[in-house]
Amino acid sequence: MAFADRMTVTDIAGRSVTLADTPQRIILGEGRMMYAIAPLATDDPFEHVVGWKDDLVLYDPDAFRRFEAAFPEDTARMVNFGNPYSGDFSIEAVLENEADLLILDLGNLFKAQETGLIEKLDEAGVAVVFIDFRRDPTANTIPSMLLLGRLLEEESRAAEFIDFYVSEMRKVTNIVQTLPVDEKPLVFMENAAGWNPDACCNTFGSFNYGRFIELAGGRNYGSEMFAGYSSEVSLEGVIAADPDILLGTGANWSEARPEVAATLLGYEGDAANNETRIQALADRVGFRDLRAVQDGRMHSIYHQFYNSPYHFVAIQQLAKWIHPEDFTDLNPQATFDELHERFMPFETSGQFWVSLPE
Amino acid sequence: MTAISDIDDDAVSKLVDNYQSRTYRRVILLLAAIALLAFTVVIDIMTGPASLSFVDVLAVIFNPSGASVQHKVIVWDLRLPIALMAICVGAMLGVAGAEMQTILNNPLADPFTLGLSSAASFGAALAITLQWSLIPGAGVFFVTGNAFAMAMVTSLALYAFTRLRGVTPEAMILVGIAMLFTFNALLALLQYGASELELAQIIFWQLGSLARASWGKVLTCVIVLAIVVPYFMSRSWALTSLRMGEEKAASLGVNVSFLRLTVLAGVSLLAAVAVSFVGAVAFVGLVGPHIARIIVGEDQRGFLPFSALAGALIMSGTSIASKAITPGVIYPIGMITSLIGIPFFISLILSQRQRHWQ
Repeated sequence: MAFADRMTVTDIAGRSVTLADTPQRIILGEGRMMYAIAPLATDDPFEHVVGWKDDLVLYDPDAFRRFEAAFPEDTARMVNFGNPYSGDFSIEAVLENEADLLILDLGNLFKAQETGLIEKLDEAGVAVVFIDFRRDPTANTIPSMLLLGRLLEEESRAAEFIDFYVSEMRKVTNIVQTLPVDEKPLVFMENAAGWNPDACCNTFGSFNYGRFIELAGGRNYGSEMFAGYSSEVSLEGVIAADPDILLGTGANWSEARPEVAATLLGYEGDAANNETRIQALADRVGFRDLRAVQDGRMHSIYHQFYNSPYHFVAIQQLAKWIHPEDFTDLNPQATFDELHERFMPFETSGQFWVSLPE
Repeated sequence: MTAISDIDDDAVSKLVDNYQSRTYRRVILLLAAIALLAFTVVIDIMTGPASLSFVDVLAVIFNPSGASVQHKVIVWDLRLPIALMAICVGAMLGVAGAEMQTILNNPLADPFTLGLSSAASFGAALAITLQWSLIPGAGVFFVTGNAFAMAMVTSLALYAFTRLRGVTPEAMILVGIAMLFTFNALLALLQYGASELELAQIIFWQLGSLARASWGKVLTCVIVLAIVVPYFMSRSWALTSLRMGEEKAASLGVNVSFLRLTVLAGVSLLAAVAVSFVGAVAFVGLVGPHIARIIVGEDQRGFLPFSALAGALIMSGTSIASKAITPGVIYPIGMITSLIGIPFFISLILSQRQRHWQ
């Protein structure tokens, strides 16, 4: 019977991976992969997960506490494999935990190939698959969810989620398609605004939030400046370009870094606190005189949408900010609520975006 | 007395003439270098992604109240501090390198090769990744504070260690190199555990950046220069004699140990402040003094100001280049200092017939 369960999948790196059996003990290369697993195995998302890296705990403590409240025993038994960005995995630790599948972020592909991690684990009978919600999320979310659906034997759930994803994405892109090119406002997106209170400006190229802006009907400043994923740009250039809309990302980084000036968006985001914080970001030298700030078109949005399959919520909210007249009927909060009702093991709370108060 | 009257009057007047023409030549060269520096500073202030004409910039500088807010922010808050920071830091590194080479009697000595820059980078990384503040109450400047503290501690350790075996230049260089590798290893360790955002900060810091210049930092640099450089100038005879050899200097009545100690303290202060504000900038402290030596020789009265000017010129040129490569995108200055300085340096070496380091 074991043979019948044998499956071959193609992962996001284009690798063909054969698993001897349905994986029972999975290690996550990033804790934030739970954003994608929770909608598929909603009743018991940790069922097959034995360990993860602690990025969810460190960089999105609000979301971690929601998981912790819903599944206290599971989060307590998670084996911590350390920081996801170190890229390295102790093969011994993987084997010691008797894992049969390691799910890695596409960003770790090069490192995993260079260090021979894939071959060594393969010899030990541990499969490695790559998924991606960060590098090219709008292209890779559907195949990543399909893949996870097969690995978790939750294929109908995956199909259900993808239906929801596509219909919510189309609510924006169907309208944006009809907009003339010259009606696309210039948008500047500051990556992790205020994360370093002393410095500005890291921004996205035509990737991730840069791409979200383009899909939501805006021109992304970073896409026009450089070809890569993200880069440091000069504030003077931003002032000279005089963007119509100023955006920034924020998340609850204040527990790991108390000095951050970022908006603390997330499941525990507090509206009054975030209004004060976005006001302070707008008051920075060089920002306060920008036309976008003067016009009240400065907004901040939850950073972690950049690494989750829920980015359609972000794109909807961006569309409302970029083209308010064209998206009056769109209600991103309702979309987010529906996502939680149908697919998440806990309810919405907190605040995931905030605008500069009038 | 007879011996002196026996000397040919012509020879004496020739000697005096030679000395006068050398001094004269030095003053001319100094004025030329200052003029060149003024020119690069003007270019630096003129350069930027916002298109401001020369007249616009002059108008904003001399009549700020008449200018638009945007222009005022660009010139006064962004361009002027960066341009002035560049020359201050360049001068500090140039002087620091010059006197390190002098007191250690080693052409390879500079804040970078002796590990002060690595120590500063490590201090900054401690703040960025682990949130450790080495100076209590440093507030938002704790990254800078840490960098400064680590650089100072390192130079003190450098000195204390070499005291154990008597102050020999070789021992000091070797300990410095050991420091360099130690801190690089520790830095790599911190990088290994850093998150994506932290990593971007550390790398940017390690490669140096003028983008965080402010008037407060410029003022600090000016004060440090105003304290240290006059002291070095007042000791210029003693320092020049040191280059003839320790024994000769001692026989001329110079307290070599005390001179080394005080100069090292001054050098540490210069290097630590410079590095803690702009990050690790390779090459300037090493090559600035060599350029000065090739042009004006070993006499500290010419060598010291020229080292400062050469360092300032390199940094000013770097600042222009970092803005000009892709307007609007910021390139780290550390890599540019090497790229623009090295061809110039090599051409100087090749055009030089005699050995300039004895």
